[in-house]
Amino acid sequence: MDWFPLYNSIRIAAISTVLAFFLGLAAAWYTARLPRLAKGLLDAVLTLPLVLPPTVVGYLLLLALGPRRPLGAWLLDTFGLRLTMTWPGAVLATAAVTFPLMYRTVRGAFESFDETLAQAGRTLGLSDAWLFWRVRMPLCRQGILAGTVLTFARGLGEYGATSMLAGYTPGRTATISTTVYQLWRTGQDGPALRWVLVNLALSAGALLAVNLLERKEGRPWR
Amino acid sequence: MKRALALILFLFLTACGGNSGGGSAEDVELIVFAAASLQETLEECGALYREERPKVRLVFQFDSSGTLKTQIEEGAECDVFISAGQKQMDQLDRAAGPDVNTEGLDLVARGTRFDLLENKVVLTVPEGNPAGIHSFDELRAALEAGDILLAVGNGDVPVGQYTQRIFAFWGLDEAALNAAGVLTYGSNAREVTTQVAEGLVDGGIIYATDARSAGLTVVDTATAEMCGRVIYPAAVLSNSRFPGEARAFLEFLRTPGAGAVLESVGFTPLDN
Repeated sequence: MDWFPLYNSIRIAAISTVLAFFLGLAAAWYTARLPRLAKGLLDAVLTLPLVLPPTVVGYLLLLALGPRRPLGAWLLDTFGLRLTMTWPGAVLATAAVTFPLMYRTVRGAFESFDETLAQAGRTLGLSDAWLFWRVRMPLCRQGILAGTVLTFARGLGEYGATSMLAGYTPGRTATISTTVYQLWRTGQDGPALRWVLVNLALSAGALLAVNLLERKEGRPWR
Repeated sequence: MKRALALILFLFLTACGGNSGGGSAEDVELIVFAAASLQETLEECGALYREERPKVRLVFQFDSSGTLKTQIEEGAECDVFISAGQKQMDQLDRAAGPDVNTEGLDLVARGTRFDLLENKVVLTVPEGNPAGIHSFDELRAALEAGDILLAVGNGDVPVGQYTQRIFAFWGLDEAALNAAGVLTYGSNAREVTTQVAEGLVDGGIIYATDARSAGLTVVDTATAEMCGRVIYPAAVLSNSRFPGEARAFLEFLRTPGAGAVLESVGFTPLDN
Protein backbone atom coordinates (compact mmCIF):
# COMPACT_ATOMS: atom_id res chain seq x y z
CA MET A 1 0.00 0.00 0.00
CA ASP A 2 1.30 3.41 -1.01
CA TRP A 3 1.19 5.64 2.08
CA PHE A 4 1.52 8.93 0.21
CA PRO A 5 -2.13 9.99 0.76
CA LEU A 6 -1.70 9.64 4.54
CA TYR A 7 1.47 11.74 4.53
CA ASN A 8 -0.13 14.30 2.24
CA SER A 9 -3.34 14.54 4.30
CA ILE A 10 -1.38 15.11 7.51
CA ARG A 11 0.92 17.62 5.82
CA ILE A 12 -2.01 19.58 4.37
CA ALA A 13 -4.03 19.48 7.60
CA ALA A 14 -1.04 20.51 9.74
CA ILE A 15 0.07 23.47 7.62
CA SER A 16 -3.47 24.71 7.08
CA THR A 17 -4.03 24.48 10.85
CA VAL A 18 -1.03 26.73 11.45
CA LEU A 19 -2.45 29.23 8.92
CA ALA A 20 -5.95 29.04 10.38
CA PHE A 21 -4.50 29.34 13.93
CA PHE A 22 -2.86 32.74 13.40
CA LEU A 23 -5.56 34.09 11.07
CA GLY A 24 -8.29 32.86 13.43
CA LEU A 25 -6.59 34.42 16.48
CA ALA A 26 -6.14 37.74 14.69
CA ALA A 27 -9.70 37.76 13.35
CA ALA A 28 -11.17 36.85 16.76
CA TRP A 29 -9.05 39.50 18.49
CA TYR A 30 -9.98 42.34 16.14
CA THR A 31 -13.67 41.55 15.63
CA ALA A 32 -14.23 41.18 19.39
CA ARG A 33 -13.45 44.87 19.81
CA LEU A 34 -15.54 46.23 16.94
CA PRO A 35 -18.85 48.05 17.43
CA ARG A 36 -21.86 45.81 17.41
CA LEU A 37 -23.10 46.26 13.83
CA ALA A 38 -19.67 45.98 12.21
CA LYS A 39 -18.97 42.94 14.39
CA GLY A 40 -22.16 41.23 13.27
CA LEU A 41 -21.44 41.88 9.60
CA LEU A 42 -17.81 40.83 9.73
CA ASP A 43 -18.70 37.78 11.79
CA ALA A 44 -21.17 36.65 9.12
CA VAL A 45 -18.55 37.07 6.37
CA LEU A 46 -15.83 35.25 8.35
CA THR A 47 -18.14 32.35 9.24
CA LEU A 48 -19.48 31.94 5.71
CA PRO A 49 -16.91 29.32 4.58
CA LEU A 50 -18.13 27.05 7.38
CA VAL A 51 -21.72 26.97 6.15
CA LEU A 52 -21.13 27.22 2.38
CA PRO A 53 -20.84 23.92 0.55
CA PRO A 54 -17.10 23.18 0.13
CA THR A 55 -17.73 22.94 -3.62
CA VAL A 56 -18.81 26.59 -3.62
CA VAL A 57 -15.65 27.58 -1.73
CA GLY A 58 -13.63 25.51 -4.20
CA TYR A 59 -15.33 27.16 -7.15
CA LEU A 60 -14.69 30.66 -5.78
CA LEU A 61 -11.03 29.80 -5.18
CA LEU A 62 -10.73 28.45 -8.73
CA LEU A 63 -12.30 31.63 -10.09
CA ALA A 64 -9.69 33.66 -8.23
CA LEU A 65 -6.61 31.47 -8.59
CA GLY A 66 -6.90 29.65 -11.93
CA PRO A 67 -3.85 30.41 -14.11
CA ARG A 68 -6.24 32.06 -16.61
CA ARG A 69 -7.65 34.41 -13.94
CA PRO A 70 -6.02 37.76 -13.09
CA LEU A 71 -4.89 36.90 -9.55
CA GLY A 72 -3.78 33.39 -10.47
CA ALA A 73 -1.85 34.66 -13.50
CA TRP A 74 -0.17 37.35 -11.38
CA LEU A 75 0.92 34.86 -8.70
CA LEU A 76 2.31 32.57 -11.40
CA ASP A 77 4.18 35.30 -13.26
CA THR A 78 5.51 37.16 -10.22
CA PHE A 79 6.33 34.38 -7.77
CA GLY A 80 6.10 31.27 -9.96
CA LEU A 81 3.46 30.17 -7.45
CA ARG A 82 0.88 27.75 -8.83
CA LEU A 83 -1.99 27.09 -6.44
CA THR A 84 -4.06 24.89 -8.76
CA MET A 85 -3.44 21.14 -9.01
CA THR A 86 -0.65 21.38 -6.39
CA TRP A 87 -0.54 20.44 -2.71
CA PRO A 88 0.01 24.04 -1.51
CA GLY A 89 -3.30 24.78 -3.26
CA ALA A 90 -4.88 22.06 -1.13
CA VAL A 91 -3.42 23.76 1.95
CA LEU A 92 -5.09 27.02 0.95
CA ALA A 93 -8.45 25.36 0.22
CA THR A 94 -8.35 23.51 3.54
CA ALA A 95 -7.37 26.64 5.47
CA ALA A 96 -10.26 28.55 3.86
CA VAL A 97 -12.78 25.90 4.87
CA THR A 98 -11.45 25.33 8.41
CA PHE A 99 -10.63 28.93 9.36
CA PRO A 100 -14.14 29.68 10.74
CA LEU A 101 -13.88 26.78 13.19
CA MET A 102 -10.75 28.30 14.70
CA TYR A 103 -12.09 31.84 14.59
CA ARG A 104 -15.41 31.02 16.25
CA THR A 105 -14.00 28.86 19.04
CA VAL A 106 -11.30 31.39 19.86
CA ARG A 107 -13.76 34.26 19.77
CA GLY A 108 -15.94 32.45 22.30
CA ALA A 109 -12.92 31.98 24.53
CA PHE A 110 -11.90 35.65 24.21
CA GLU A 111 -15.41 36.82 25.02
CA SER A 112 -15.52 34.83 28.25
CA PHE A 113 -12.18 36.33 29.34
CA ASP A 114 -12.51 38.53 32.40
CA GLU A 115 -11.47 42.01 31.18
CA THR A 116 -10.77 43.23 34.73
CA LEU A 117 -7.65 41.05 34.66
CA ALA A 118 -6.34 42.99 31.66
CA GLN A 119 -7.22 46.27 33.33
CA ALA A 120 -5.37 45.19 36.48
CA GLY A 121 -2.37 44.34 34.33
CA ARG A 122 -2.42 47.76 32.70
CA THR A 123 -2.43 49.51 36.10
CA LEU A 124 0.77 47.58 36.78
CA GLY A 125 2.29 49.09 33.61
CA LEU A 126 2.24 45.92 31.45
CA SER A 127 2.17 46.32 27.66
CA ASP A 128 -0.78 45.10 25.56
CA ALA A 129 1.43 42.58 23.79
CA TRP A 130 2.64 41.17 27.13
CA LEU A 131 -0.95 40.99 28.39
CA PHE A 132 -2.08 39.23 25.21
CA TRP A 133 0.57 36.51 25.18
CA ARG A 134 1.11 36.07 28.93
CA VAL A 135 -2.34 36.67 30.42
CA ARG A 136 -5.10 36.37 27.84
CA MET A 137 -3.70 33.44 25.85
CA PRO A 138 -2.95 31.21 28.88
CA LEU A 139 -6.35 31.89 30.40
CA CYS A 140 -8.11 31.13 27.10
CA ARG A 141 -5.93 28.13 26.27
CA GLN A 142 -8.71 25.57 26.59
CA GLY A 143 -10.76 27.21 23.86
CA ILE A 144 -7.73 27.86 21.71
CA LEU A 145 -6.49 24.28 21.98
CA ALA A 146 -9.92 22.83 21.32
CA GLY A 147 -10.28 25.11 18.28
CA THR A 148 -6.89 24.06 16.97
CA VAL A 149 -7.52 20.34 17.26
CA LEU A 150 -10.99 20.72 15.76
CA THR A 151 -9.49 22.66 12.84
CA PHE A 152 -6.89 19.94 12.32
CA ALA A 153 -9.53 17.18 12.45
CA ARG A 154 -11.76 18.97 9.94
CA GLY A 155 -8.72 19.66 7.75
CA LEU A 156 -7.99 15.92 7.59
CA GLY A 157 -11.50 15.34 6.29
CA GLU A 158 -11.63 18.16 3.73
CA TYR A 159 -12.77 16.92 0.35
CA GLY A 160 -14.86 19.32 -1.75
CA ALA A 161 -12.79 22.47 -2.05
CA THR A 162 -9.54 20.49 -2.09
CA SER A 163 -10.61 18.20 -4.92
CA MET A 164 -11.72 21.17 -7.01
CA LEU A 165 -8.61 23.28 -6.50
CA ALA A 166 -6.00 20.53 -6.35
CA GLY A 167 -7.66 17.67 -8.25
CA TYR A 168 -6.62 14.07 -7.77
CA THR A 169 -3.05 13.46 -8.88
CA PRO A 170 -1.61 10.27 -7.36
CA GLY A 171 1.74 10.97 -5.72
CA ARG A 172 1.20 14.75 -5.69
CA THR A 173 -2.20 15.98 -4.51
CA ALA A 174 -3.96 12.73 -3.54
CA THR A 175 -5.28 12.88 0.03
CA ILE A 176 -7.07 10.16 1.97
CA SER A 177 -10.47 11.63 1.12
CA THR A 178 -9.85 12.03 -2.62
CA THR A 179 -8.23 8.57 -2.73
CA VAL A 180 -11.28 6.94 -1.13
CA TYR A 181 -13.51 8.64 -3.72
CA GLN A 182 -11.37 7.53 -6.68
CA LEU A 183 -11.08 3.97 -5.36
CA TRP A 184 -14.85 3.82 -4.93
CA ARG A 185 -15.47 5.27 -8.38
CA THR A 186 -13.24 2.68 -9.97
CA GLY A 187 -14.75 -0.21 -7.98
CA GLN A 188 -11.72 -1.00 -5.81
CA ASP A 189 -13.63 -1.74 -2.62
CA GLY A 190 -10.82 -3.44 -0.70
CA PRO A 191 -8.29 -0.58 -0.88
CA ALA A 192 -11.11 1.96 -0.35
CA LEU A 193 -12.09 0.22 2.88
CA ARG A 194 -8.48 0.16 4.09
CA TRP A 195 -8.22 3.93 3.65
CA VAL A 196 -11.59 4.40 5.34
CA LEU A 197 -10.23 2.54 8.39
CA VAL A 198 -7.05 4.63 8.39
CA ASN A 199 -9.16 7.79 8.23
CA LEU A 200 -11.48 6.62 11.03
CA ALA A 201 -8.53 5.87 13.29
CA LEU A 202 -6.90 9.22 12.58
CA SER A 203 -10.01 11.34 13.02
CA ALA A 204 -11.17 9.47 16.11
CA GLY A 205 -7.71 10.02 17.58
CA ALA A 206 -7.92 13.75 16.96
CA LEU A 207 -11.37 14.01 18.53
CA LEU A 208 -10.30 11.94 21.55
CA ALA A 209 -7.43 14.39 21.96
CA VAL A 210 -9.96 17.24 22.16
CA ASN A 211 -11.90 15.45 24.90
CA LEU A 212 -8.75 14.64 26.89
CA LEU A 213 -7.64 18.28 26.68
CA GLU A 214 -11.01 19.34 28.04
CA ARG A 215 -10.98 16.86 30.89
CA LYS A 216 -7.47 17.80 31.95
CA GLU A 217 -8.67 21.30 32.71
CA GLY A 218 -11.05 19.95 35.35
CA ARG A 219 -14.15 21.67 34.08
CA PRO A 220 -15.97 21.50 30.77
CA TRP A 221 -14.89 24.17 28.34
CA ARG A 222 -17.44 26.84 27.55
CA MET B 1 -46.72 21.83 18.96
CA LYS B 2 -49.60 19.99 17.31
CA ARG B 3 -50.24 22.91 15.00
CA ALA B 4 -46.57 23.03 14.03
CA LEU B 5 -46.64 19.31 13.23
CA ALA B 6 -49.81 19.74 11.20
CA LEU B 7 -48.17 22.57 9.28
CA ILE B 8 -45.09 20.47 8.55
CA LEU B 9 -47.27 17.58 7.41
CA PHE B 10 -49.28 19.94 5.21
CA LEU B 11 -46.16 21.40 3.61
CA PHE B 12 -44.74 17.94 3.05
CA LEU B 13 -47.91 16.66 1.40
CA THR B 14 -48.29 19.69 -0.85
CA ALA B 15 -44.64 19.38 -1.86
CA CYS B 16 -45.15 15.72 -2.76
CA GLY B 17 -48.35 16.56 -4.60
CA GLY B 18 -46.45 19.08 -6.68
CA ASN B 19 -44.13 16.36 -7.86
CA SER B 20 -46.65 13.82 -9.03
CA GLY B 21 -49.17 16.25 -10.45
CA GLY B 22 -48.98 18.33 -13.59
CA GLY B 23 -49.75 17.36 -17.16
CA SER B 24 -52.67 15.38 -18.49
CA ALA B 25 -52.82 11.61 -18.64
CA GLU B 26 -51.92 11.66 -22.34
CA ASP B 27 -48.54 13.30 -21.79
CA VAL B 28 -45.51 11.08 -21.92
CA GLU B 29 -42.35 11.76 -19.91
CA LEU B 30 -39.28 10.03 -21.30
CA ILE B 31 -36.22 9.88 -19.07
CA VAL B 32 -33.03 9.79 -21.11
CA PHE B 33 -29.69 8.91 -19.47
CA ALA B 34 -26.83 9.93 -21.74
CA ALA B 35 -23.05 10.30 -21.67
CA ALA B 36 -21.92 13.76 -20.53
CA SER B 37 -20.30 14.35 -23.94
CA LEU B 38 -23.78 14.39 -25.56
CA GLN B 39 -25.20 17.20 -23.44
CA GLU B 40 -25.44 20.13 -25.89
CA THR B 41 -26.27 18.11 -28.98
CA LEU B 42 -28.91 15.93 -27.34
CA GLU B 43 -30.60 18.95 -25.77
CA GLU B 44 -30.74 20.49 -29.24
CA CYS B 45 -32.17 17.27 -30.69
CA GLY B 46 -34.70 17.28 -27.85
CA ALA B 47 -35.90 20.73 -28.87
CA LEU B 48 -36.34 19.49 -32.46
CA TYR B 49 -38.22 16.43 -31.23
CA ARG B 50 -40.57 18.59 -29.20
CA GLU B 51 -41.76 20.23 -32.43
CA GLU B 52 -42.37 16.82 -33.96
CA ARG B 53 -44.07 15.22 -30.96
CA PRO B 54 -45.26 17.90 -28.55
CA LYS B 55 -46.90 15.33 -26.26
CA VAL B 56 -43.54 13.84 -25.32
CA ARG B 57 -41.56 15.58 -22.62
CA LEU B 58 -37.87 14.62 -22.56
CA VAL B 59 -36.00 14.65 -19.25
CA PHE B 60 -32.25 14.33 -19.68
CA GLN B 61 -29.63 13.28 -17.21
CA PHE B 62 -26.03 13.66 -18.30
CA ASP B 63 -23.09 12.13 -16.46
CA SER B 64 -20.24 9.70 -17.03
CA SER B 65 -21.61 6.50 -18.58
CA GLY B 66 -20.16 4.51 -15.66
CA THR B 67 -22.15 6.55 -13.14
CA LEU B 68 -25.32 6.27 -15.22
CA LYS B 69 -24.86 2.51 -15.56
CA THR B 70 -24.58 2.25 -11.76
CA GLN B 71 -27.70 4.35 -11.27
CA ILE B 72 -29.67 2.18 -13.73
CA GLU B 73 -28.40 -0.90 -11.93
CA GLU B 74 -29.57 0.61 -8.61
CA GLY B 75 -33.07 0.98 -10.05
CA ALA B 76 -33.16 4.57 -11.32
CA GLU B 77 -36.22 5.32 -13.45
CA CYS B 78 -34.95 5.54 -17.00
CA ASP B 79 -36.35 4.83 -20.47
CA VAL B 80 -33.40 5.37 -22.81
CA PHE B 81 -29.67 4.89 -22.21
CA ILE B 82 -26.98 6.24 -24.54
CA SER B 83 -23.51 5.21 -23.39
CA ALA B 84 -20.14 6.53 -24.52
CA GLY B 85 -18.72 3.01 -24.46
CA GLN B 86 -19.90 -0.52 -25.27
CA LYS B 87 -18.67 -1.77 -21.89
CA GLN B 88 -21.29 0.05 -19.82
CA MET B 89 -24.11 -1.06 -22.17
CA ASP B 90 -22.80 -4.65 -22.23
CA GLN B 91 -22.96 -4.72 -18.44
CA LEU B 92 -26.71 -4.06 -18.63
CA ASP B 93 -27.43 -6.19 -21.72
CA ARG B 94 -27.90 -9.94 -21.15
CA ALA B 95 -27.83 -10.50 -24.92
CA ALA B 96 -24.21 -9.28 -25.01
CA GLY B 97 -23.00 -12.62 -23.60
CA PRO B 98 -21.65 -13.63 -20.18
CA ASP B 99 -18.01 -12.67 -20.90
CA VAL B 100 -18.92 -8.96 -21.07
CA ASN B 101 -22.23 -9.03 -19.15
CA THR B 102 -20.30 -10.04 -16.04
CA GLU B 103 -22.91 -9.17 -13.43
CA GLY B 104 -25.75 -10.94 -15.29
CA LEU B 105 -27.89 -7.79 -15.41
CA ASP B 106 -30.84 -7.95 -17.81
CA LEU B 107 -32.00 -4.35 -18.12
CA VAL B 108 -31.84 -3.66 -21.87
CA ALA B 109 -35.03 -4.35 -23.87
CA ARG B 110 -34.36 -7.08 -26.46
CA GLY B 111 -33.74 -5.92 -29.99
CA THR B 112 -33.65 -2.22 -29.21
CA ARG B 113 -29.88 -1.78 -28.97
CA PHE B 114 -27.93 -0.29 -31.85
CA ASP B 115 -24.77 1.73 -32.44
CA LEU B 116 -25.81 5.35 -32.74
CA LEU B 117 -22.63 7.37 -33.15
CA GLU B 118 -18.90 7.38 -33.44
CA ASN B 119 -16.63 9.84 -31.70
CA LYS B 120 -12.85 10.32 -31.64
CA VAL B 121 -10.40 10.53 -28.77
CA VAL B 122 -8.06 13.49 -29.05
CA LEU B 123 -5.17 15.15 -27.30
CA THR B 124 -5.90 18.76 -26.37
CA VAL B 125 -3.76 21.46 -24.81
CA PRO B 126 -4.65 24.72 -23.09
CA GLU B 127 -4.30 28.06 -24.85
CA GLY B 128 -0.65 28.81 -25.59
CA ASN B 129 0.34 25.12 -25.22
CA PRO B 130 2.57 25.71 -22.13
CA ALA B 131 4.29 22.32 -22.28
CA GLY B 132 4.78 22.46 -26.07
CA ILE B 133 3.14 19.13 -26.88
CA HIS B 134 2.19 18.75 -30.54
CA SER B 135 1.41 15.05 -30.96
CA PHE B 136 0.73 11.80 -29.13
CA ASP B 137 4.39 10.86 -29.74
CA GLU B 138 5.60 13.99 -27.95
CA LEU B 139 3.09 13.32 -25.18
CA ARG B 140 4.51 9.85 -24.71
CA ALA B 141 8.04 11.23 -24.44
CA ALA B 142 6.93 13.91 -21.97
CA LEU B 143 5.10 11.31 -19.83
CA GLU B 144 8.19 9.12 -19.77
CA ALA B 145 10.34 12.13 -18.85
CA GLY B 146 7.87 12.90 -16.06
CA ASP B 147 7.74 16.66 -16.54
CA ILE B 148 4.09 17.34 -17.40
CA LEU B 149 0.67 17.05 -15.81
CA LEU B 150 -1.88 15.27 -18.02
CA ALA B 151 -5.61 15.21 -17.21
CA VAL B 152 -7.36 11.91 -17.97
CA GLY B 153 -10.67 10.25 -17.07
CA ASN B 154 -10.50 7.64 -14.30
CA GLY B 155 -10.90 3.91 -15.01
CA ASP B 156 -14.67 4.07 -14.50
CA VAL B 157 -15.21 6.63 -17.27
CA PRO B 158 -15.24 5.52 -20.94
CA VAL B 159 -12.77 8.25 -21.98
CA GLY B 160 -10.50 7.00 -19.17
CA GLN B 161 -10.76 3.46 -20.52
CA TYR B 162 -9.82 4.63 -24.02
CA THR B 163 -6.86 6.46 -22.44
CA GLN B 164 -5.79 3.26 -20.67
CA ARG B 165 -5.80 1.49 -24.04
CA ILE B 166 -3.58 4.21 -25.49
CA PHE B 167 -1.11 3.75 -22.61
CA ALA B 168 -1.21 -0.03 -23.14
CA PHE B 169 -0.63 0.48 -26.89
CA TRP B 170 2.50 2.46 -26.01
CA GLY B 171 3.58 -0.07 -23.38
CA LEU B 172 3.34 2.57 -20.65
CA ASP B 173 2.64 1.34 -17.12
CA GLU B 174 -0.06 3.45 -15.44
CA ALA B 175 1.21 2.59 -11.94
CA ALA B 176 4.66 3.92 -12.88
CA LEU B 177 3.08 7.09 -14.29
CA ASN B 178 1.17 7.53 -11.03
CA ALA B 179 4.38 7.10 -9.05
CA ALA B 180 5.87 9.90 -11.15
CA GLY B 181 2.80 12.08 -10.46
CA VAL B 182 2.12 13.00 -14.09
CA LEU B 183 -1.56 11.96 -14.26
CA THR B 184 -4.50 13.72 -12.69
CA TYR B 185 -7.89 11.98 -12.76
CA GLY B 186 -11.30 13.49 -13.48
CA SER B 187 -14.54 11.67 -12.76
CA ASN B 188 -16.16 12.46 -16.11
CA ALA B 189 -15.12 13.70 -19.55
CA ARG B 190 -16.44 17.21 -18.85
CA GLU B 191 -14.30 17.61 -15.71
CA VAL B 192 -11.19 16.79 -17.74
CA THR B 193 -12.30 19.26 -20.43
CA THR B 194 -12.71 22.03 -17.84
CA GLN B 195 -9.27 21.34 -16.37
CA VAL B 196 -7.73 21.84 -19.83
CA ALA B 197 -9.85 24.91 -20.64
CA GLU B 198 -8.87 26.57 -17.34
CA GLY B 199 -5.20 25.85 -17.99
CA LEU B 200 -4.91 23.78 -14.78
CA VAL B 201 -3.00 21.04 -16.64
CA ASP B 202 -0.57 20.79 -19.56
CA GLY B 203 -2.87 18.61 -21.65
CA GLY B 204 -5.85 16.30 -21.57
CA ILE B 205 -7.16 13.24 -23.38
CA ILE B 206 -10.83 13.83 -24.18
CA TYR B 207 -13.41 13.43 -26.95
CA ALA B 208 -13.14 15.41 -30.17
CA THR B 209 -16.70 16.66 -29.58
CA ASP B 210 -15.97 18.01 -26.08
CA ALA B 211 -12.85 19.71 -27.37
CA ARG B 212 -14.84 21.31 -30.19
CA SER B 213 -17.70 22.44 -27.88
CA ALA B 214 -15.22 24.00 -25.44
CA GLY B 215 -13.19 25.63 -28.23
CA LEU B 216 -9.97 23.83 -27.22
CA THR B 217 -6.90 23.31 -29.39
CA VAL B 218 -6.67 19.72 -30.66
CA VAL B 219 -3.09 18.72 -31.44
CA ASP B 220 -3.59 15.04 -32.31
CA THR B 221 -6.31 12.42 -32.82
CA ALA B 222 -6.02 8.82 -31.58
CA THR B 223 -6.21 6.17 -34.28
CA ALA B 224 -8.35 3.03 -34.09
CA GLU B 225 -5.13 0.98 -33.52
CA MET B 226 -4.38 3.02 -30.41
CA CYS B 227 -7.70 2.78 -28.60
CA GLY B 228 -10.24 1.02 -30.80
CA ARG B 229 -13.27 2.72 -32.27
CA VAL B 230 -15.26 5.00 -30.00
CA ILE B 231 -18.84 3.83 -30.47
CA TYR B 232 -21.87 5.16 -28.60
CA PRO B 233 -24.53 2.44 -28.28
CA ALA B 234 -28.15 3.36 -27.52
CA ALA B 235 -31.01 1.20 -26.23
CA VAL B 236 -34.44 1.22 -24.63
CA LEU B 237 -34.40 -0.17 -21.09
CA SER B 238 -36.58 -3.14 -20.18
CA ASN B 239 -38.38 -1.36 -17.33
CA SER B 240 -39.31 1.65 -19.48
CA ARG B 241 -42.90 2.79 -18.92
CA PHE B 242 -43.20 3.90 -22.56
CA PRO B 243 -41.10 1.48 -24.65
CA GLY B 244 -42.83 2.49 -27.88
CA GLU B 245 -42.20 6.19 -27.36
CA ALA B 246 -38.63 5.49 -26.22
CA ARG B 247 -37.97 3.57 -29.41
CA ALA B 248 -39.52 6.32 -31.51
CA PHE B 249 -37.17 8.86 -29.94
CA LEU B 250 -34.13 6.69 -30.72
CA GLU B 251 -35.36 6.29 -34.31
CA PHE B 252 -35.66 10.07 -34.50
CA LEU B 253 -31.97 10.39 -33.58
CA ARG B 254 -31.15 8.49 -36.81
CA THR B 255 -33.05 10.92 -39.02
CA PRO B 256 -31.07 13.43 -41.13
CA GLY B 257 -32.36 16.35 -39.03
CA ALA B 258 -30.95 14.98 -35.77
CA GLY B 259 -27.88 13.69 -37.60
CA ALA B 260 -27.02 17.21 -38.73
CA VAL B 261 -27.08 18.43 -35.10
CA LEU B 262 -24.86 15.55 -33.98
CA GLU B 263 -22.46 16.11 -36.87
CA SER B 264 -22.19 19.81 -36.05
CA VAL B 265 -19.89 19.09 -33.08
CA GLY B 266 -18.00 16.26 -34.75
CA PHE B 267 -19.99 13.08 -34.07
CA THR B 268 -20.32 10.61 -36.96
CA PRO B 269 -23.85 9.11 -37.13
CA LEU B 270 -23.67 5.36 -37.88
CA ASP B 271 -26.02 3.39 -40.13
CA ASN B 272 -26.69 -0.16 -39.06
